[in-house]
Amino acid sequence: MTDTPTLADVAGRIRSLPAMPAVALELLHTLAETDATSADLADLARRIAQDQAITARVLRVANSPFYGLQSRVASIHDAIVVLGFSAVRSLVLAAAVMASLPGGPCTGFSQERFWRHVLGTAAAAQAIGKRLHRPSEALFIAGLLHDIGRLALVVLYPARYAATLAAAREQDRGLQEMELEHFGFDHTAVGASLAEHWHFPAEIADALAWHHQPERGKADGLAAIVHYADAIAQALDLDDAEDSRVARLQEGAVVKLGLDWNTLLAVLAETQSRFDSYRLMLG
Amino acid sequence: MSDIQRLPLDAIQPGAVLAEAVADARGTVLLPAGLSLTEAHLASLHRRNIATLSVTAPPDPAELARRREKVRERVLYLFRHTDDEPAAQALLQAVLAFRQEQVR
Repeated sequence: MTDTPTLADVAGRIRSLPAMPAVALELLHTLAETDATSADLADLARRIAQDQAITARVLRVANSPFYGLQSRVASIHDAIVVLGFSAVRSLVLAAAVMASLPGGPCTGFSQERFWRHVLGTAAAAQAIGKRLHRPSEALFIAGLLHDIGRLALVVLYPARYAATLAAAREQDRGLQEMELEHFGFDHTAVGASLAEHWHFPAEIADALAWHHQPERGKADGLAAIVHYADAIAQALDLDDAEDSRVARLQEGAVVKLGLDWNTLLAVLAETQSRFDSYRLMLG
Repeated sequence: MSDIQRLPLDAIQPGAVLAEAVADARGTVLLPAGLSLTEAHLASLHRRNIATLSVTAPPDPAELARRREKVRERVLYLFRHTDDEPAAQALLQAVLAFRQEQVR
């Protein structure tokens, strides 16, 4: 195996990754805008509709029982009219990211499980956020992208990452811990570099960087919610992986969220139904 | 596994689980497979003149207890690396309650 890469090497090689699709970046940068004018809407719908793969994935989710629509929506434009701009923007972003960031071959790495886990985390983050009156769309996106640094490591260093995965499995240790051992840094640091490279909104970048150490993130940021949502997705087996594990929770950060027993049960139920809908995106 | 049976609508009790989706004459899905039927569902199917349904017979109590135990083992395995602090324990207990409740 070649020499251990440094975080600076990774940052330098990020340029060689497949480009984040323009439409996804554009949507991400408009996250702060909660309302779109009808011109924006028409323009967005027209541009997305040109991409069959994205459209098909979004419509599968939009027509799932979770949204309880009376009749089927057949176009992105109709989906925006019925579900609202924010909901569709999130789904389009997810579909675009999935369609354009293939993991590449890496022994022991399952792309399917990766996407199942991040969609599960996105669903759980939204379910928690609803109880705390936090922005649903930003939480969906933070959950969706929280492990994106892992995907970059898989693509840039497949052999080293395969060894990391194998060691984690053999020793039954956490993947983040093994990343630190094999690379000297983990997927959260790479996620932070990617967020900078792609100019992600600050709140998303903060959640990517600190979802394993929420106390180091911005006070009242999204990192603590994503941290807990990550654990919920694992605990509900949403990634369908035999050797899953719930990572160690940061007690203080979780307590601060203040979810009581009944709220927690409601969060679990909502996470499951959201996930059952989002997973349709995977085909 | 539970047996799948095709039964007349009148013979089906609330709580039975649909083995396949129910569609109307035009093929529009009315109720999805896997749904646990309620009184209201059954009444609505009566109104639509649906005569028979494929349902999964509920498992016997011993089988149910065995499945719940399997879920408990799985949840404990998933939480094998968390500590004894209240937050992790609370999540474990809630997940256990939720997942065991889902077992039918």
